[in-house]
Amino acid sequence: MQGTKVVRPFPFFRAGARASQPQLSKPILVLEDVYKFFRPDQPTLRGVDLSVERGEFAFITGPSGAGKSTLLKLIYRELRVDEGRVLFCGRDIGRLTDKSIPFLRRNLGVVFQDFRIIDHWTVFENVAVALEIVSMPQRLIRSRVAEALERVGLAGRGPEQTSNLSGGEKQRVAVARAIVPEPALILADEPTGNLDPHLAIDILTLFEEINSTGTTVLFATHDHSLISKRDHRLISIDDGRVSEAQQGLKHWQGSSGIHTLVG
Amino acid sequence: MEVKSAITRAKRGLREERRLYIVAVTSLAVAFICLGATLLGVTNLDAAATRWGQSGRITLFLRDGADPQDIAQLRVVLEGLADVSEVTHVTPAQARESFLEEADVGADLSKLPSEVFPASLEVVLVQGVTRERSESIAMRLAQFRAVSDVESYGRWFQKLDHLLWGARMLAGGLALLVMFCVVAVIGNTIRLAVARRRQEIEVMKLCGATNGFVRGPFVLEGMFQGFASALLAVLSLLVGYLVLHDSVDSTLAALTGSKVVFLGARTVVALLVGGAVIGAIGSAVSVRRYLAV
Repeated sequence: MQGTKVVRPFPFFRAGARASQPQLSKPILVLEDVYKFFRPDQPTLRGVDLSVERGEFAFITGPSGAGKSTLLKLIYRELRVDEGRVLFCGRDIGRLTDKSIPFLRRNLGVVFQDFRIIDHWTVFENVAVALEIVSMPQRLIRSRVAEALERVGLAGRGPEQTSNLSGGEKQRVAVARAIVPEPALILADEPTGNLDPHLAIDILTLFEEINSTGTTVLFATHDHSLISKRDHRLISIDDGRVSEAQQGLKHWQGSSGIHTLVG
Repeated sequence: MEVKSAITRAKRGLREERRLYIVAVTSLAVAFICLGATLLGVTNLDAAATRWGQSGRITLFLRDGADPQDIAQLRVVLEGLADVSEVTHVTPAQARESFLEEADVGADLSKLPSEVFPASLEVVLVQGVTRERSESIAMRLAQFRAVSDVESYGRWFQKLDHLLWGARMLAGGLALLVMFCVVAVIGNTIRLAVARRRQEIEVMKLCGATNGFVRGPFVLEGMFQGFASALLAVLSLLVGYLVLHDSVDSTLAALTGSKVVFLGARTVVALLVGGAVIGAIGSAVSVRRYLAV
């Protein structure tokens, strides 16, 4: 009898599980012929093929509505692929059961344009929540949060109310929350969209520092000034299709102009 | 650790939403007071019925001018019965005196003549005599020449049984109604709290929180609301009982021969635990639909 195949939660996405050595030598993220439809006749992503190596820093760019956020949502499984596969550490996350999704997200850090931090919580509470969910002892949480706050330039600011912080500081809190569980991959969805240009550069630098310690970073932005200042790999999405440049805008081979590229 | 974290977050939730929760707990306490008051009524009716049932008695009203020899013979027969523990002869004068002592009808009855009250033999049965056996003894005693009427209190027991049945049904219906109220009120309160803390839920889910982790504090908050409402209701009823029982006791003692009792320990525990469990269920049900992020 041929029944429906049951997909079990992957060990890697269970609490306490670690990736095996062969997994570590493969790309951290692979998208294979990915389609996502919100309307049947008009796919938001069409046949996206993409491979991201461990420790890479890549910009994802494209005009507003091109599908940057959709791509990231497919990775942290807020959305499910309609066709194709999204492999994170070799696992097809499109086929994860609902119960396994939290364990996938514990391996990811997500940062948003609107910060998504809780204003009536303290800075410490906002960062600590990412460790509380894995039932880490309080003593360890305190030291890890202090370390993360130091990395984002907010050392000693833990007891402050988040509502009193500036936009740039709030985004630093969000970054601290994303890095504190030491995830394998950080997804930043327009993290500088609400910030002044000089603060945007600061935040970008912060992500680069995080990347320099080995964490893979996917940085979605349509800010041309940011992209043009760095030589990171550039993944452009336009009309649901992906085109790439390995070393920033200077090496851009795409058929579209720069303004089309970044919106 | 997860429980500890849920308790910490529930405390924070209760602190942040205290106004909302105070309103909910007060509303629910009113519902619990209604249920508790009905249960108090059932408990007291039960106590009276038990007391009457256990102190089985028969009153033999004697004919006017009955032959003292017949009465003496009747006493001998009665005292020889294994089911009888005590026989007392009450004269009309004693009956009048007893009535004037116990009755509180709000009128001057001191001028009532003794002749109004018939002489009687008060027969106390031994413990454990069933109502059927009591009825059969009464029927046999009615055959004696000196006896004009027999009161075995069977009709009273029947009425009391009906009353108890009705009260129990009322309590059952009220319990269902209160359960519905608790689920609805706590469900809505938690729904409001969830809506206000939607961003927190979203953040936790994006950080990898399981549904159980997110649901935990809300279930605890619902549990606390149910428990606090039941506790408030029990305490209110206790205060009412302590204030009123002195004045009610004498009237009830005259009418039923029993005193007012408060809810039993089991009933109180059942109310508190029931409140907590229903509260937890209500919140778990209402928070479920907000967990998809």
